[in-house]
Amino acid sequence: MTHSGLTRRGLMGGALSLGLAAPLVVGAPRRAWSADAIKIGFNGDLSASPSAQSGRAAVVGIQAALEDLNGKGGVLGRKIDLVIRDDLSQPPKSIQNMSDLIDNEKVVAVLGPTNSGNALAWKQIPNQKRIPVMGCIGSASDITKPMSAHADNYMFRVGSVDRFQVVAVVAYARKNPATKKVGLLTETTGYGQSGLKDLVEVTKIQGIVPVASEKLGVNDTDMTSQLAKLKNAEVDTVLLWAQGTPIGQVMRSMDKIGYFPTVLTSWAADNLSFLNAAGPALAEKPIFLRTVSEARSARQQAFFDRIRPKLDADSAFSFAVHAYDGTMLLARAMAQAGATDGAALRSALEGLKEPYEGYAKTYAPPFSKENHEGLGAADQHWTCWRGGRLAAFEDAVVASLKPEDFKG
Amino acid sequence: MTTLIQVLVSGLAIGGVYALIAMSFSITFTTTKTLNFAQGEFVAVGAFLGVTVLYLLARAGGGEVGFASLPPWASAGLNYPVAALVAGLVLGALGLLLFAVAVRPFAGKAGMNWVMSTIGFGIIVQSLGLAVWGPAPVNVPSPFGDDVIRIAGAGIRPQEILILVVAILLMLGLDRAMRGTRIGKAMRAVAANPQAAALMGINVAAMMLGAYALSSLLAGIGGLLVAPIASASLFLGMGIALKAFSGAIVGGLDNPRGCIAGGFALGLLESGVALWSAEWREIVIFLLIIVVLAVRPNGLFGAQSLDKV
Repeated sequence: MTHSGLTRRGLMGGALSLGLAAPLVVGAPRRAWSADAIKIGFNGDLSASPSAQSGRAAVVGIQAALEDLNGKGGVLGRKIDLVIRDDLSQPPKSIQNMSDLIDNEKVVAVLGPTNSGNALAWKQIPNQKRIPVMGCIGSASDITKPMSAHADNYMFRVGSVDRFQVVAVVAYARKNPATKKVGLLTETTGYGQSGLKDLVEVTKIQGIVPVASEKLGVNDTDMTSQLAKLKNAEVDTVLLWAQGTPIGQVMRSMDKIGYFPTVLTSWAADNLSFLNAAGPALAEKPIFLRTVSEARSARQQAFFDRIRPKLDADSAFSFAVHAYDGTMLLARAMAQAGATDGAALRSALEGLKEPYEGYAKTYAPPFSKENHEGLGAADQHWTCWRGGRLAAFEDAVVASLKPEDFKG
Repeated sequence: MTTLIQVLVSGLAIGGVYALIAMSFSITFTTTKTLNFAQGEFVAVGAFLGVTVLYLLARAGGGEVGFASLPPWASAGLNYPVAALVAGLVLGALGLLLFAVAVRPFAGKAGMNWVMSTIGFGIIVQSLGLAVWGPAPVNVPSPFGDDVIRIAGAGIRPQEILILVVAILLMLGLDRAMRGTRIGKAMRAVAANPQAAALMGINVAAMMLGAYALSSLLAGIGGLLVAPIASASLFLGMGIALKAFSGAIVGGLDNPRGCIAGGFALGLLESGVALWSAEWREIVIFLLIIVVLAVRPNGLFGAQSLDKV
């Protein structure tokens, strides 16, 4: 990657060209549509934060889905159009985009956002205005919780969920016969501390008592003090919740004191920033989860080959997959409901009759009234770094994990 | 025991950076009674300029290299010293510009306009940096490799030793220069009393310009020194500058040796407190600073000067 590829202007240009290209791609096969197009929206960061690359990947996924849908005659005899809004990763801008998409553009559903915080900032808007939202990037556990108990909930998600990652790593620690003592190590940011809350709750549910819990700062470069305490507590398995760069710094500090316990960590480790901070050798130590495995099925590989030229990095593929599957599920809900109004769409999504074979998995069915998560704990795939590339992780413990092990 | 040595070693390494930047604060304060609040941004830009030089040298030496993750050989031989020199010189020039546009118009006037103007200058520099290099952190190889060296069981990286050695050499050199050379004595004279110094034939404006250039040069070199440990990022300098400034305040802003001691003390305290409880580190450090300022407003080693009339 050259440095010029990282400039903000470059990112903006990319986002803009994505937006401009959309109508051309979507409208490729010319046909007479029976009525006005159905509009769906995307609201997320496409240019401002390091996670913008996942936002752009999601747009690529939606556009691929619309290409396929419109190529086969659209939905309800109508073409589907995508309206893209960049929220620059800022909550106020994201809220404004939401109102613009719903009130001015009259979209029937929204996909996104890129950043969890933005979804939490505006989730009351689609709930009040009864417009379904299909999350495909942000992973905070609270995004899909209803506004109040038994209230109709318009927030759905096909994507990774922090809680499910925690459930899976704790299950791994519990099933691993080599695990004697578990320690927690978490970043002091909102991301790290909500992870700590999940870790504390899930270890309790699964019957594990951590012997130590340490914190680290997001900009820290030396964690040897914290690690020495874990080492002295004889911790052999560390559950680590932090962003990419600090996870890399933890590995470097482990190297300093020559202490290498089993490290189970968050999907932030799939980020290139982790590989760069840790270096290729130390990067191979931790194991983590991703929703789309690096060991791609033939069908996934074909999709990968089709859209890879439009992605910034191989690792962004999962976001395109989530967005593709989410768009297809929305289209199926429209077809089943025979309508596009929000309430009908929500209820159709909660009771989709036909199974759908997506690129992440076969959804049969994806959602219910109580469950708005398309992907569960057992749908995550174990991943690690090998030779500077992401790879599927396999061992006896992973092989022994059963769906009933994913408690919490 | 090994743990304590590890704390000591880690604390001294990061303390070296704090001490270097703390001294750079002291240099402008003693001569102009102003500070560069853009010092953090200068550290970050220094790191990126250094990386850019390493990248260009590696490209010129043949082979495809990526800017975001330079191979280890990119820092080998003379490449790293050359990069440090360029980063230092360019930042020194930037310091001159800062003084001319953001400090001089306001220095000596009532009010604290220079505080806002230096912060504003820093934001401009950082925004330009973001436009050029982007927000992503960049990996920087250390010139002496990345293998951990063991000292009595404690691990230390070559770059940390390099930081310590360079910081101490620079500080000793500057200390000698300030006390033993004509320019150094002139700078100290300007610091003591600019009017009297001017009457003695010292070019006060040149001394002040020199102080800003020197201070910014140290920030640039400090940035490239710390980059292999923290990875270069445009947001890297803020935390370092804040801690360094705290070290300078604790040591006494008008005493360069005190600033150095303050910087090292802060580094050691930071890793020491982390041994007890990492999340209490900032609380302890800043509580200590408040206590020190309450008891000794000029810092632990600050001059208790009395102006005789």
